[in-house]
Amino acid sequence: MLLLRLLPAGLAFAILQVALRLTDDADLVRRLKAREPRAMNDLYDRYGRLAYSLICRIVRNTSTAEDLVQETFLRVWNRVQSFDAERGALGAWVLTVARNRAIDHLRSVDGRMEAGAIELDHLERPGLFAKLDSAALAMDRVRRLKSAFEKLTPAQRQVIELAYYEGMSQTEMAERLKQPLGTVKTWTRSALKILRDELAEAAIA
Amino acid sequence: MFELYALGALEPAEKSEIEAHLARDCDNCRRALSAALALNAGVFTLVPTLKPRGRLKRRLLTSVGVHYPGWGWVWAVGAVCLLLVAAWLGVEERSRTYELADARRALIESNSERDRLTQALQFLSDPATRPASFGRGQTAPPRGYVFLHPQMGVLLIASNLPAAGVGKTYEMWVIPKGGAPQPAGLFQSDGMRALHILSGPVDVAAIGTVAVTIEPAAGSSAPTMPIIIAAPVGS
Repeated sequence: MLLLRLLPAGLAFAILQVALRLTDDADLVRRLKAREPRAMNDLYDRYGRLAYSLICRIVRNTSTAEDLVQETFLRVWNRVQSFDAERGALGAWVLTVARNRAIDHLRSVDGRMEAGAIELDHLERPGLFAKLDSAALAMDRVRRLKSAFEKLTPAQRQVIELAYYEGMSQTEMAERLKQPLGTVKTWTRSALKILRDELAEAAIA
Repeated sequence: MFELYALGALEPAEKSEIEAHLARDCDNCRRALSAALALNAGVFTLVPTLKPRGRLKRRLLTSVGVHYPGWGWVWAVGAVCLLLVAAWLGVEERSRTYELADARRALIESNSERDRLTQALQFLSDPATRPASFGRGQTAPPRGYVFLHPQMGVLLIASNLPAAGVGKTYEMWVIPKGGAPQPAGLFQSDGMRALHILSGPVDVAAIGTVAVTIEPAAGSSAPTMPIIIAAPVGS
């Protein structure tokens, strides 16, 4: 606490916020593992709206989104035993599962990438989120990311949206945008660099 | 391009390359993957926030066996309250209907009584009315007067007249001189007094006696003995 007094107020607040969130998430994971009845309620209260918003953005249908939110939380409930309560970033994991369920649904509707479901399943293993920056969803980071996203050119923003919210590979993006693959790769790389750099600055600040 | 790898959006060749790095347990690659996952999660939050319907939470909790009361109890309490209010209003309405019927009945009786008294007053104040009395000189008889009027009819005013009894009524008779008794209407006593009017023109000179008997509630066509009141009408 003495250390917090010596820090600038903004930074102290951010550290406290992250610490509280971490404690909360770690405790929530422990209660989920213990199958406490209120734990699922709290998990949904904490991440339900975010997951629903993300899935709605991807599938653009509220009824399907509700089914996929349910699938997301059931998947988290069933796999939480292998999640690291102390070091894992619960919110990032839940959102990744939500996004992958929605993309999986889109792909099954479009009939593209049949093997993609296995690949996405592999990319949401609880173990992957064990050493994640646990402040991934901290308010300050999200605010910076939003501001960086607004700095992207329309083309950069478009490729990011196609990759994140439509699950397209760069080849598919090039076909959709009727642009050379090299151009699409350049847009994607530069867009990700802008976002990455913004987060790196946030970490230093 | 770890971000695209984590999104499952890399081409097979690029994906294999990254997986080969990760398989070597390279710390840099692992850190890069963690950073990419964190960045991706951040981008996932940039979508417009929407509020899911309440039933989604209920559905989800039910699917993992958690009882979720939700707001169903509010509806149940509301329904019970509405039922109680409806029942109370029903009782009130019924009670008010009864009160209204009683008041209407009392008003009708009161109007009828007023009409009878008005009629009796007209009877008494008209110079053509001829009086006759009855019950004088007896120990505890009904006493009173009979008034006859050629156009208005016959007015009977009696006191000391007990109630007729359950299922019984008083019936007035007009007995012409040398003729059979004619029914002249049914009436009740309040236990002490009675007032009865036979409305309509009568031949006063032809009437010998006005009498009263106790009859069954529906009345009789001929008097049942004994005669309770007998008022001889003088010529």
